[in-house]
Amino acid sequence: MAIVQEQAAAELGSRHGPSRPFTLGYGRWWWALPAVALVVFMVYVTTAAGAFYAFTDWTGIGSWNFVGLNNFKKIFQNPEMIRSLVNTLVLAFGFLLFTNIFGLLFALALNRGLKSRYVLRMLLFMPVVIAPIAVSYVWKFIFAYKGPLNQTLAALGLESWQRDWLAEPKLALLTVLIVMVWQNIGFVMVIYLAGLATVPVDLEEAAALDGAGTFDRFRRITIPMIQPSIAIATTLMLIQGLRIFDQVLALTGGGPAGATETLATQVYKHSFVFGNFGFGASLALVLSLLILVFTLIQQWATRDRL
Amino acid sequence: MRLSIDRHRRRAVAVALPLAAGLLLAGCGGSSNSGGSNGAEPQSITLTFASANTTEMAFDDLAKAYMAAHPGVEIKTNRIALDGYNQALSTQMQAGNGPDVMYINAGSGQAASIGQFGKAGLLLELDKSVAADIPDAQMEGYTYQDKLLGLPSATIVDGVIYNDVLAQQSGVKITATSTLNGITDQCAAVKATGKSIFGLAGSVPANNGILAAQLATSTVYGPNPNWNQDRTDGKTTFADTPGWQQALQSVVDLNNAGCFQDGAAGAGFDALTNGSSTGQFFGFFAPSGATKDIMDAAGGAVTLVALGMPAPQGTESLLTVSANQGLAGNAKTQSPKLVADFLKFSVSPEPAKAFAASQGSIPVGKINAADLLPQYKPVADQLVAEEYRPFAVDGWPNGQVYDALGTGVTGLLTGQNSVNDVLASMDSAWG
Repeated sequence: MAIVQEQAAAELGSRHGPSRPFTLGYGRWWWALPAVALVVFMVYVTTAAGAFYAFTDWTGIGSWNFVGLNNFKKIFQNPEMIRSLVNTLVLAFGFLLFTNIFGLLFALALNRGLKSRYVLRMLLFMPVVIAPIAVSYVWKFIFAYKGPLNQTLAALGLESWQRDWLAEPKLALLTVLIVMVWQNIGFVMVIYLAGLATVPVDLEEAAALDGAGTFDRFRRITIPMIQPSIAIATTLMLIQGLRIFDQVLALTGGGPAGATETLATQVYKHSFVFGNFGFGASLALVLSLLILVFTLIQQWATRDRL
Repeated sequence: MRLSIDRHRRRAVAVALPLAAGLLLAGCGGSSNSGGSNGAEPQSITLTFASANTTEMAFDDLAKAYMAAHPGVEIKTNRIALDGYNQALSTQMQAGNGPDVMYINAGSGQAASIGQFGKAGLLLELDKSVAADIPDAQMEGYTYQDKLLGLPSATIVDGVIYNDVLAQQSGVKITATSTLNGITDQCAAVKATGKSIFGLAGSVPANNGILAAQLATSTVYGPNPNWNQDRTDGKTTFADTPGWQQALQSVVDLNNAGCFQDGAAGAGFDALTNGSSTGQFFGFFAPSGATKDIMDAAGGAVTLVALGMPAPQGTESLLTVSANQGLAGNAKTQSPKLVADFLKFSVSPEPAKAFAASQGSIPVGKINAADLLPQYKPVADQLVAEEYRPFAVDGWPNGQVYDALGTGVTGLLTGQNSVNDVLASMDSAWG
């Protein structure tokens, strides 16, 4: 059998000239060209065109003038935009932190042992499949001044705890963060469950027999072995947190008085509500660069672990 | 050498394919000019309009009336949901495939407005004689660089949608001659019953804006009807105008007196719907056309009227009248005469009256008491006597100023901002 294969390979090689060794191939590079061209045009060229408008005063209709870096100067000289940038970072890092902490805790709790773990995993994952905008409107109803949350507090005799949750500046940002975290815990939990499945049980048992406590086993065996999951979960949550839009728009509309505005909501307002497409494009470029920089830092911090 | 040729081929393919795709895309995007070659105008035009209420037939009825009066003419109507209208129309116009006639906002505050489209040269210039019989207050925002580019479709009062029957059951009496102090004096007693005189969607900048703009109509534009021009000329600012400070201070006073429902700062439009339908408050701030929509939806179970917002003590109360929703023609239409004639028809007395009756608004043109719907009875005398000013916002240069006013009022309710903060941010947004 092996002799026949060698002969066939030799014959095939002779047809293509003696200098070319036989290699197994699945196609030619140019077969991918239509798809590559489509991606280049539909994604990169349009993105570059959008980025170009960041240096213009285009209103979204008619002609435009090249304004250099003026739009970017306006961003960094405007306290409202700086506040939006700060809100974006607060929400992104809060989201990153809390989704990962709670996601990991739920994954550890539901990894093995518990009989009802499959049902509980499903229940925790269910919010992930609902559209963020729908989830946000449900929570808006819950947080409304005369909504179920305040009514429940009143029923429990806790009237002093009642708040106008979406209208108090500090609480409003927190409520947005709560809704974001609530919806995405299940997603992070699934990533960590996949990671925990790679941790050998016998390794943990051996460590336990050697006298390692629960926390020691978690710190010295589990955490190192789920590093790839940590890298993926933190990267995805950071990107998702930085581009937060739906939840803010549905819950607070950026209010009260701009207290929950983010870069993404400002992009929307300036580009499509106020007709300042050029300025909106410059905000979008800043947001994109922010995501790029933080993602690169994230990748560097978790290098060799993916 | 062979390697070199392969590289050249690869490069050629890499360049040629995207280029071909680009040319194909460009071909698809090119405009087609299928105008009549014999010089005669096509007698079929399109009319695109925005509507928040799918049962509203005012524009469809207007088109039918024109077609009935002009046999052989066809007007195809296209309804677009109000919330996506500005973006949809802007995209169509920018791409060169906009409708022949379009619903448009007066002024420059929105993307699809006379000012924005006029600046881009996208609108058909009209003969000024068609607007000769329309009062100046209704024509605010329909010209750009002294060119008439659109006409109002109807007039409305930006005021209070008020349930007088319900209010009187609670012992509250507000009329067109009431003063702001007269209202604030009643608020505490109403609040004690668990209700409020007014409902406010405080998280919606537009709802806050309509309240503040009404107050400013009396405090700013009453004494100085040319305030917008003065601001444009740099002769004044929001922060330096006592009338603006008085208007915003009045909002604070209303809030402190308990005139708004609990949780007003975080309330949305849903709170207005729920609160008004359950009798939690007696009035809310909205364009008067809403009276008909609500009464129709309630099947006659409620009777609402339009009221103006009374002025603070020592200031004459004026109504805020707006005709900021109108029609304009496309500069690229192949039927410019037909479009101009249709627009002229839309503001002629009988069609305008029919349009207003269908929409619950006031007919464009000089206001006659006999033409007013019953919901305008409390303000009829003021309307006929022209004791009103145009909705000031229609004369502002961009939408950010109105947004700064609306979000600023939220800040006043939550204590985030002072009156001076809000006025400074409006000056900053004016540019």
